[in-house]
Amino acid sequence: MKRKEPIYHQGTKAPSEAKKEINLSLKCLLKSESKISLPKRFSLVSWCLGGEQLLTIGFGVLLLLVPCLSFAGTLDKPAMVEILRGIDVRVKSSGDYKALVYIEQHEKDKPDVARDALVYRRDADQKLMILFTKPKTEAGKGYLRVDRNLWYYDPTVGKWERRTDRERIAGTDSRRQDFDQSDLANEYDPEFIKEEKLGNFDVWHLKLTGKPGKDLAYPIVEFWVDEATGNDLKRQDFALSGRLMRTSYSPKWQKLYSESKKADLWYRQEIRIFDEIDKANSTLVIIQSVDLQPLPENIFTKAWLETKSR
Amino acid sequence: MGQLWLIAFRNLLSHGKRSLLLGAAIAGVTTLLVFLGCLSSGVKKTMLESATTVATGHFNVGGFYKVTAGQSAPLVTDYKKIQAIVEKTLPDLDYVTARGRGWARLVSDTASMQVGIAGVELAHEPMLPKVLKMKEGKLEDLGKPGNILIFASQAKKLKVKTGDNMVFSVLTDRGVNNTVDVRVAGVAEDMGLMTSWNVFLPQETLNRLDQTNDSTTGALLIYLKNMKRIPEDMDLLRKALTDNGYTVMDRASKAFWMKLQEVNREEWTGQKLDLTTWEDEISYVSWTLQAIDGLSFLLTTVLLVIIAVGIMNTLWIAIRERTREIGTLRAIGMRRRGVMMMFVLEAFCLGALGTAAGAALGCLISLGLDAAQIPVPEGAQFFTMSTHLRFALVPSRIFGGAAVITLCCTLISLIPSLRAARMRPVTAISHLS
Repeated sequence: MKRKEPIYHQGTKAPSEAKKEINLSLKCLLKSESKISLPKRFSLVSWCLGGEQLLTIGFGVLLLLVPCLSFAGTLDKPAMVEILRGIDVRVKSSGDYKALVYIEQHEKDKPDVARDALVYRRDADQKLMILFTKPKTEAGKGYLRVDRNLWYYDPTVGKWERRTDRERIAGTDSRRQDFDQSDLANEYDPEFIKEEKLGNFDVWHLKLTGKPGKDLAYPIVEFWVDEATGNDLKRQDFALSGRLMRTSYSPKWQKLYSESKKADLWYRQEIRIFDEIDKANSTLVIIQSVDLQPLPENIFTKAWLETKSR
Repeated sequence: MGQLWLIAFRNLLSHGKRSLLLGAAIAGVTTLLVFLGCLSSGVKKTMLESATTVATGHFNVGGFYKVTAGQSAPLVTDYKKIQAIVEKTLPDLDYVTARGRGWARLVSDTASMQVGIAGVELAHEPMLPKVLKMKEGKLEDLGKPGNILIFASQAKKLKVKTGDNMVFSVLTDRGVNNTVDVRVAGVAEDMGLMTSWNVFLPQETLNRLDQTNDSTTGALLIYLKNMKRIPEDMDLLRKALTDNGYTVMDRASKAFWMKLQEVNREEWTGQKLDLTTWEDEISYVSWTLQAIDGLSFLLTTVLLVIIAVGIMNTLWIAIRERTREIGTLRAIGMRRRGVMMMFVLEAFCLGALGTAAGAALGCLISLGLDAAQIPVPEGAQFFTMSTHLRFALVPSRIFGGAAVITLCCTLISLIPSLRAARMRPVTAISHLS
C-alpha cells in the first residue's frame, strides 16, 4: 500500500534561505516574533480526551500564574521545575516523528560542510535514528540509539561502531540532545539567577545543576526562558570544571498539531550553536520539515538503516 | 687451489676495462641495497626510540575497564598491585612505570588539535630526561600539576611557546564534558611521527581531566635489561597475572586504541588486562618499514637480474676468448672441476670486490647523509618517521646484503663455467678464436 505524502509544516525554510541569515546571533532574537498561540483545534472534548494536552494547557495556565507564584522578579523552585517540565512536554512527541534537518558546520581553516539528515523519533520507546542523505560522501551514514547506546554506521566500511550518546553528531558542534526529546525537569535542579532582557524578550535566566546520580554530558547548564512563551531562547552548557563549552540560540520555534498527542508538538526550527572552546567553530541546525505520521514498525533497527544506506 | 685463485685474479686484471664496468655495476647495486638497508634501520631505530619514549615500554600491561557493556576505557584500576606482581615476576626487569592514557582536544588561542596524552610522574621516568631534547623550557617543570610538555611541530601548529596557556577539552569515560587549563612548561624537539600527536601531562592533571582516581592508570610500561627476552617475560607475566585472578585478553598485535571498538562490542563489564609489545603498539606505522624493505627487495632483485645477465655474458666472452687456453690446461692434466673452479672463482672475486666497494660506499653515503641532518618534507615524514633523514649502520644487514649479492654472482657463473669444463681438450685446442 502506498504511503500518504508526508504533511510538512507550512512555515519551513529552505537551507539557502536560512543561509542568508548566517550571521544572526542575538540580532535574530531581537527581530524574531513570538510564536506562541493556542492549539488550532482547541475544544473541550479534545481537551478532556488528551492527557498530554492537559499538561500543555496546564503549562499555559502556569505561565499566567507564574507572576503570582513569583515575587520581586524571582521564581521559586516549583515554578522553575514546572517551566522545565513544560519544555519537556512541549517538545515530546507521543507518536512517531520524522524531520528533515539541514546541518551546516563552520570550522576554522576548513571549508564549510553542509549536510541533510532525516531524524526519526519514537519518544514513547526512547527510539532515535539519524540518517544522513546529503552530501554524497555522507549519504548513508547514520546513528541509531538502542537503549542507552548510540550506534554509528558507516556504509563505506559496512560496520557498526558503538559510540557514546553524548558525542558530537558527525563531528559538528551539535549533540544527540539537540535532535531528541528532553528530560530537563528530571535531570536538573534549577536555580533562579535573574529576570533580564535578551534582545527584545523578557526572559528568566536559570541555572540548572545536574541531579546527583544522573549521567549528564553537561553537568551545569544556564537557560534563558522566554517569559511570554516558555520557550528556551538561549542555552549555555558548562563542563564539569565550570568552563563554558558551548552557547546555543533557538530563536525560532514552530509548532505542529499532533494527533497522537492531542496537542501541539513544539520544535526548535533553528538552532545556532557556538563552540566556546574553539571560538571559531559553529554549527547551524535548521529543521526544514516535520512529519508526525506513523513510521514503519521495524524502522529503528540496524537492518533498516543498512538497507537505506545501500 | 692457490693457483686457481691467482689465475682468476690475473684474468680480472688482464681484462681491466670489462672487470671495472661489471664490478662498478655490482658495487652500484650493493650501494643501493646498503643505503636502503641503513634507511630502513634508521627508521626502525627512530620508531623504537620515539615509541618507547612516547607511547610504550618494551612491553606493557594495559587493559580496558568497562562500567557498562557499551562503555570501555583504556584503564588499569588498582595498578599498584599489578606493579608488585610485575616486579616480583620478571627477573630481567630494568624498571616499570605507570603511564596514563588519554585522548583530548587541545585548544590554544588560535588553533586546536586532537592529541594523545601520556600522563607521567616524572620522578618515575628515568629515561625521559635522557631521551627528550628540550628546545625551550625545562623538562623538570613537567612535574608541576597543570603543566604540559609539547613537541616542536605541535607548538608550531598551535602557535604557542613556553609559558602560554591552553585548554584541554574532553568527553570523559563516563560521558561528562570536562576541561582543564594547562600551561606550556616546555617544547621538546620532534622525535618522529608519533610526537606530532602525543603530549606529556602530569598524571595528576590527567586524572583531574578524566575524573579518575590516583590508583588508576592507563598502562604499566615495562622496560627490560635485555629486549630479546620480551617473549619469555611476557609469557611469565601472563601466567603470573592469571594465577593472581586477573583476566588477560588474548594477544592481538594492535595498538590499544585500535582495540577499543572491538572491546566496545563485547558484552562484559569490569577489568580485563592486555599485554602488548612495543611493536604491537606501533603496528599501525610498521607498514612504512615493510614498504621500505619491499622497495629495497624489488629494486635489488631487478638490478641483480641485470647484473646476472652481465656476468653470464662476460663469462661467455671470456670462455670463448680462452677456449684454446682451456684446451691446453685440460691437455696438461687439469681436471674438469679445476676448469670450472677457475671461472667460478673469477666471478666470485669480481662479486666480492664489487660488493665490498659498494658496501663501503653505501656506508659512507649513509653516514654522510645522517651527519648532514637533511630535513624531510612534511609529506615524506610519514615514511621516514622523522623530521630529519636518519640512517643506522647495522653490520649484520650490511654484510648479509653484500654476501647475498656475491653469492648470486658466483652461482650465476656456474652455468658458463660448467659449459667450459665440459669441453673436450682436442676440440678446445683446435678452436680458432
